[in-house]
Amino acid sequence: MIATVLAATTGDVTKAGKAIGLALGVGLGALGAGIGIGNIFASMIQSVARQPELRGELQGIQWLGFALTEAVVFYGLLGSILAYVLV
Amino acid sequence: MKLFPKVTLGAVWLLALALPAPAFARGEFDPTTEFEQHEWVSIHLGPLNMSITKAVAYLLIGTALTILLGLVLMRGKTLNRRQTIGESIYEIAQVQVAEQGLPGKAIGRWFPYVASLMLFIWVINLIGFIPLPLTGETWHGVPVWGIYAATSSLSVTLALALLTFVFTHVEGIRWNGPVRYFKSWIPEAPKALLALIVPLEILGQFMRLISLSVRLFANMLAGHILILTFIGLIFILESIVLAPFVIIVGSVFYIFEVVIVVSIQAFIFAALSAIYIGSAIEPEH
Repeated sequence: MIATVLAATTGDVTKAGKAIGLALGVGLGALGAGIGIGNIFASMIQSVARQPELRGELQGIQWLGFALTEAVVFYGLLGSILAYVLV
Repeated sequence: MKLFPKVTLGAVWLLALALPAPAFARGEFDPTTEFEQHEWVSIHLGPLNMSITKAVAYLLIGTALTILLGLVLMRGKTLNRRQTIGESIYEIAQVQVAEQGLPGKAIGRWFPYVASLMLFIWVINLIGFIPLPLTGETWHGVPVWGIYAATSSLSVTLALALLTFVFTHVEGIRWNGPVRYFKSWIPEAPKALLALIVPLEILGQFMRLISLSVRLFANMLAGHILILTFIGLIFILESIVLAPFVIIVGSVFYIFEVVIVVSIQAFIFAALSAIYIGSAIEPEH
């Protein structure tokens, strides 16, 4: 373990920076999308609890919102991969 | 006794970390090589490169399967179980996709497009998770079986998104005339703000193209990379002890992708196409 840390400090730091950038990009993207998806499903549960007969209609909108929000992670991922490959 | 699974898992984890001496040495495994395109049959028409690659092979199989699915599920004299499945797919395409986005006067013309888009993307996504001997690699002369989705290539999803993009504007101009259609891009706002808003609206039209294609592409790419990386941990950390752990996690991701992501992405792509085309045919103001 200590040897790994020592190797990191003396070795190729650009690689480490790229790896950190990739992880940060995906991680922060996932943070935002996680909050968003949680909000969507929370609202869905509330709406169905209040008006169960609307479940069918709401389900389409729910999945639309889910996919739109989830895509945010992948924009982060794509940006990170671009930075990782190009820099 | 409840503690037992946790203790086992912890022990396996510790063993996995302790056993391999070069635990942090990087192996030969690189998941990105799975997504490289090699020209199997070279077809060059001037500057056009129409070679048959892995993605093209998957697209051809997907097209054949989609046609077959339509013939098997939706043609027949009497109502049986196959047709019930076909009708439930048809109902999703009609009620959830077409009627949500398209105005009544355009459903007749554009329902076939969004329905076939949904079915086609669904089939391509799904065969991406079935192991097929199409990896292009051989092991002692036997083709290696692997998973790969054509939609995890940006060219494929961009082509599909371009179809929707072109149809959107052609239909917008056809129903409203060029002047009224492009006027509908300009929202009602104070005159001073218009200089700021109009470029953003025009940019937004092109952002649709990017978001539509990148959403599908990145979802499928990330799904495959995730599964590959978890299985690949065995080779990266060079320790077979990890196998039970990574195979369980890999399988969970695999099931999540097959059950949820594959269908959701097909549905979303078709639904958004319907909404975009519908909003061009009937602009809000």
